[in-house]
Amino acid sequence: MRIKSFIAILLLGSFTAGLVSCGGKKTKNVTISGAFALYPLGVKWTEQYKQNAPDLRFDVSAGGAGKGLTDVLAGAADIAMFSRQLTPAEKEKGIWVFAVAKDAVLPTFSLNNPLADLIRKKGLTKDQLKEVYLSGKTNISWGSLLDTAATQPVVVYTRSDAAGAADTWADYFGGKQENIKGTGIYGDPGLAEAVGKDASGVGFNNVAYAYDVTTGKKRPGIDIIPIDQNNNRVIDPEENFYQNADSILQAISDGRYPSPPARDLYFITKGKPTNPDIVAFLKWVLTDGQKYVKEAGYVPLTDAHIKEELAKLQ
Amino acid sequence: MAALQSLRLPAKLTDRLSTGWLNFAVLFLILLPLVIGVGLVIKSLPLLEQASTWKMLSSAEFSPQQGHFGFYAFIMGSALVTLLSFVLSAPVCLLAAIYLTEYSPAWLTQTMYFVIDVLAGIPSVVYGVWGVLVVVPLLAGYVAPALGLSTTGYCLLSGGVVLAIMAVPYMLNMLMEVFRSVPVELKEASLSLGATYWETIKWVVLRKGITGIIAALSLGISKALGETIAVLMVVGNVAKVPKSVFDAAYPLPALIANNYGDMMSVPLYDSALMFAALLLFVIILVFNSITNVLLSRVKEV
Repeated sequence: MRIKSFIAILLLGSFTAGLVSCGGKKTKNVTISGAFALYPLGVKWTEQYKQNAPDLRFDVSAGGAGKGLTDVLAGAADIAMFSRQLTPAEKEKGIWVFAVAKDAVLPTFSLNNPLADLIRKKGLTKDQLKEVYLSGKTNISWGSLLDTAATQPVVVYTRSDAAGAADTWADYFGGKQENIKGTGIYGDPGLAEAVGKDASGVGFNNVAYAYDVTTGKKRPGIDIIPIDQNNNRVIDPEENFYQNADSILQAISDGRYPSPPARDLYFITKGKPTNPDIVAFLKWVLTDGQKYVKEAGYVPLTDAHIKEELAKLQ
Repeated sequence: MAALQSLRLPAKLTDRLSTGWLNFAVLFLILLPLVIGVGLVIKSLPLLEQASTWKMLSSAEFSPQQGHFGFYAFIMGSALVTLLSFVLSAPVCLLAAIYLTEYSPAWLTQTMYFVIDVLAGIPSVVYGVWGVLVVVPLLAGYVAPALGLSTTGYCLLSGGVVLAIMAVPYMLNMLMEVFRSVPVELKEASLSLGATYWETIKWVVLRKGITGIIAALSLGISKALGETIAVLMVVGNVAKVPKSVFDAAYPLPALIANNYGDMMSVPLYDSALMFAALLLFVIILVFNSITNVLLSRVKEV
């Protein structure tokens, strides 16, 4: 009994102490929720922005683009991070969409592929890529794509989890993620791993995953399929920008790499943002914040695009 | 202290409170499946109003953005991967449990209990990673080529193997308890009548423990049916009915886990995923009802 009453008193005491301490200072919370693709950048931005606004407390969580949007609509989050195209049903919900950075999805193949040199030299055309990724045929040979006698069939890998990357890659051919026919692998790293191991495999990855952003080199095991955009069956110097992270980011930024599969990444709010803290944060992201975009492996917006987005905040 | 002593509640009131609390707890547990079921039905209503249930169950075409909601491939994926894991794990568990309880030296049994505890404690995502690193390359690089087939390794068989291994600790542990609970007098009686040790196991231990065996095996199946992350990492996730064990499959839990977070803001998609959850719920309900009926039949014998 002694111990019990002692515990009771202790609990009661700590409870009241807790109540008192909570009533003290006021911090303002900003909750950000959504796509995994934007999460690293979201964390980076909020960490940097805290120096400008020490009284703000950011809570950034990743649970998927749809989760972010649902949270924002339900009032559980202030800003949603969004990485795929909005569906018509989603657009009708009265949301404000701000592009905050760019990213691109790159087609990949395995370094074990015996035709690797030829792939780098000739690339694949958009039509060929469409045939490979969307047709669902399992008998397309590498030889038929590259005009050689090689008979090994192309094996397509895609993302099993709903992902902006898959949706954007399919969007290059006017499709959706569900149109890409291939073995579904969970997550960016898993997909790169599976493609790397399969000598006939092809897949796709976000830039930040296809290249190591700190060293700028391609991930071990995989290489990028260059896109033959003018269909002359050779990768011309102006089509060849896959050497390292810097060169590809530059090509995405100036539009030499097509869009889609380059894509905008968005912050979404419910209605026009009115909370001055959030407006200020969004403005900062679109101005000073852009300098952190590149080091996180994404592509900063062009100046014209930034102006357009800033105008939405006026 | 005396003051606190007087705070003690009268015995009668304590009694009443605890009875009320127990009743409430039981009622809550009984109502829980019902509440989950109703919740899932309500959430899948938008889809059920749009498409005919029969068509959704019988069609294998699943492309929600174009309005096709066929769940047949997912149902088959779940059923096949569960069946495969059962075929791979049940005989092994049954024989191992007999050996460990009837034949093996005590130290081996003790070691096995430790191994079972460790296996049961490993998080499922670790089994998934292990599947990707070991099972998938093994199937793609050695097993399938040896049979003259080609596969990516992300297939039904990988899912079955990983699930089988995950189900082993649960099944084995329960089976061992079942066999240990068979009274030693029964075995002595059988042996004294001239039966061999194996005959005694066959006609006494297995016969006496049949309800427990069914319960243990069905526990293994339930575990396999509901397992999500480990399976989805190795099974290939292609929404097609697999034609061989080297084809990719797509079980229902994987469908939900793959898409829920990203697609919950698209109303019909969200509803389709809830319908998938409802299907899983119904399958487990039906399966458990069958096991229960089976158990009650067996008990009467």
